[in-house]
Amino acid sequence: MMKLSARTKPIGLRGPVHPDVWRVCRPDEQSPGLPLACLVTDSEAATGARDIHLGRSPTGVPGPAVRLPTELAHVTAGDIVAISPDGRRVTVLWKKAAKHNSLLLTEQCDNYCLMCSQPPKDRDDTWLFDRAKRVVDLLPASAVSLGLTGGEPTLAADALIDLLEYCRKRTPWLQLHLLSNGRRFADPSFTRRYAQVGYADIMVGIPVYGPEACLHDFIVQAEGAFEETIHGILNLASLGQRIEIRIVLQRHTVPVLHDLAIFIARNLLFVDQVALMGLEMTGLARPNFAEVWVDPADYQRQLVEATRTLADAHIVTKIFNHQLCVLDQRLWPFAVQSISDWKNGYLDVCCGCSVRDACGGVFTTSGERVSRHLRSLDDPLPSPLDTSGRFPAG
Amino acid sequence: MTQGSWQMLPIRFHRFDDDSILLTNLVGEHFFLSEDEFLAVMDGTCSDQVLLARLRARHLIQLPGERIPVELLAVKLRTRLRRLPDSTGLHIFVVTLRCEHTCRYCQVSRQPSAKSEYDMSQDTARRALDLAFRSPSPHLKIEFQGGEPLLNFPLVRWIVAEANRLNQAHAKRLTFVIATNLALLSTEILGFCAAEGIYLSTSLDGPADLHNSNRRRPGQDSWERTVAGIRLVQERLGPDRVSALMTTTEASLGRPREIIDGYADLGLRQVFLRPISPYGFALRQRGGAGYDVSRWLAFYDAGLDHIIDLNRKGVPMVETYAAIIAKKMFTNEDPGYVDLTSPAGIGLGALVYNYDGDVYASDEGRMLAEMGDHTFRLGNVRNSDYRDILLSEELLTPLQQSLTLSAPMCNTCAFEPYCGADPVFHHATMGDFVGHKAMSSFCLRNMGVFTTILRRARDDSFTRNLFWRWAQQ
Repeated sequence: MMKLSARTKPIGLRGPVHPDVWRVCRPDEQSPGLPLACLVTDSEAATGARDIHLGRSPTGVPGPAVRLPTELAHVTAGDIVAISPDGRRVTVLWKKAAKHNSLLLTEQCDNYCLMCSQPPKDRDDTWLFDRAKRVVDLLPASAVSLGLTGGEPTLAADALIDLLEYCRKRTPWLQLHLLSNGRRFADPSFTRRYAQVGYADIMVGIPVYGPEACLHDFIVQAEGAFEETIHGILNLASLGQRIEIRIVLQRHTVPVLHDLAIFIARNLLFVDQVALMGLEMTGLARPNFAEVWVDPADYQRQLVEATRTLADAHIVTKIFNHQLCVLDQRLWPFAVQSISDWKNGYLDVCCGCSVRDACGGVFTTSGERVSRHLRSLDDPLPSPLDTSGRFPAG
Repeated sequence: MTQGSWQMLPIRFHRFDDDSILLTNLVGEHFFLSEDEFLAVMDGTCSDQVLLARLRARHLIQLPGERIPVELLAVKLRTRLRRLPDSTGLHIFVVTLRCEHTCRYCQVSRQPSAKSEYDMSQDTARRALDLAFRSPSPHLKIEFQGGEPLLNFPLVRWIVAEANRLNQAHAKRLTFVIATNLALLSTEILGFCAAEGIYLSTSLDGPADLHNSNRRRPGQDSWERTVAGIRLVQERLGPDRVSALMTTTEASLGRPREIIDGYADLGLRQVFLRPISPYGFALRQRGGAGYDVSRWLAFYDAGLDHIIDLNRKGVPMVETYAAIIAKKMFTNEDPGYVDLTSPAGIGLGALVYNYDGDVYASDEGRMLAEMGDHTFRLGNVRNSDYRDILLSEELLTPLQQSLTLSAPMCNTCAFEPYCGADPVFHHATMGDFVGHKAMSSFCLRNMGVFTTILRRARDDSFTRNLFWRWAQQ
């Protein structure tokens, strides 16, 4: 797996590194006023050491720098990194080459989902919003989309609205995808503020794990969450906001998947899309393994039913985080090659698979915990992969 | 959910099969329970958490203090009724009563082809258009009927041009349909329909012998002309620009498969297995239409069987009535079918402008008038304005009296969300707008259709998926 954060070695630092966010650039790049960190590879030394020089072009005397370890060998010009004040840790916040980049805005959350991949921590981390703004400042004009995630970003209501307004001024062309449990949107005044930001292209992804309160509240470990989440969705819809419903496929959601699809088609038909997400076996999903794990090969019937139900109701339906070899072929048109590039890996068994390039691969964060039915598909596809998003007739 | 903790949301129930009870809510979401389960849910002793969760998901029960179920039910009900303020979308122009066919079951008092005093005049048409454009509906569908409207084709041309001209100021979505037997289709007419984007709706009763014995014309070639006409329209205007309707007569009852296959052979994707209507000549000529509801239901069932089989084999074919009802069962949309909606479709769903300028609440209301019963005459284009017509007692009284949410036996019926009010039918057959549902053949027929659709969807997953797909069209 590609590591995004690693220990580094400071070289020639005379004080704390400031600011905390830098864009990595080529040695010849100049952009006065921006915190650019020039990447220099010492090709002569046997080590091939890679340093990023802070603040100025490395002509003549080497300035303060941070030496990247081999784990961060993937860092290239265009990436945006956070550097700790002592120069001893670098965290990659934006990878230029990645299709999906997300900014963590908080680790606090008022849900405590059984399979959370980013377990909540209850500590003041509002500085993350400020850091996010500094990342936005450094985004290249070629940036297409940006995910805003948590924790629960809406808990810090003022900071979130402030950040969205900041984005509207600085990067109005960017597609924003906000991941939220939706509960805060039950407050009409907050939803109004969110809508009034007037950001052109923003969608909020909200998980709904059951067609009624009992199951949803159990999975998110918060009583009353379902009421608030659905109210939030209704409030967002009433203000014309774009909404994605996210369903994580796990042991408790699989048996109700068809009922949940019917519930969505019947009650939330106005949403912009539904995402059916494969489980990432990390975070709380690991200790709760027995509670949440189900082999994707064992829920294909339910997934087919749910997808057919949603797609036939003309709801844009996408299947994320699944390997084509375990996915019923009728579902291939809905499969999205979605796993963040840095989490995306292929196993030995994938070697020589004819659809590998079209496949989402596996979460490297999931470790050994993958479907026992993964295999290489030998036959080349008879025709180009159907990406129509329509359920085959019959 | 602990025992006794849940509350019933507004539901109705119906003993469905031997050990199966159907529960429905206000908007038609439904669930089947065994009798034991039903009693346990009702008296609060049920301990089956999976069952309770499924009832809760369908807004049949809720827990005290929950606000979401009622709020979502309200959203769904509002969705279902949201077109009501738009008022009338369908405006039927009877441009002539003349017809060269002499169909056995003809619902209208047709006139021989030569008598032009049964044609609508340009002046009448202009006044009718003025009324139609007063409707707040953002979508106006103008349907030409007869008689055979192509016998007064110059007026059809004039109305289309005039409507398009008027619409420059209104900017409504305007569509035109000609209901025609296609026997008189000419190159000129086809060219006009192509240029104006006009849809054609025709009658096709089945195989040649059946069709020609029902639909008589000089030369006994109605079927040949209709089929040739359908092919021509498909070829010149496109496959979706012509649709066909069939009327079930005594002679059709044993031949559902042949009728449906005939539609499939023509590349038609929809067949509407309609019962005969009790109006016009059909009501008088009991001989031709005297089969009872149960025989029609058997015909419908066999037809539906065959259509589902065709789909199983990969031949796409939709039964229109089932699709209308499936929409009411599986979505929150009201398909707006004038014969199966509440408030009734009379006036609100359609207005009929007769050749002589009289305005009727429905096509059936006009047919009753041809037999001397003017109950559903709402006015005349020469002396009534839009308000007079829409607020007339002749319209409001039957609408009010027949609302299914309040009509006796409808208000407690589990099928109510799928059904509709038909004050014209009940007036014609029973003498009042409500009728006695225990003796209503409208009720018996529709209950039969709802039952077969629900049972098929419950018992077979292929059929459930098919109906779901039809519902979403």
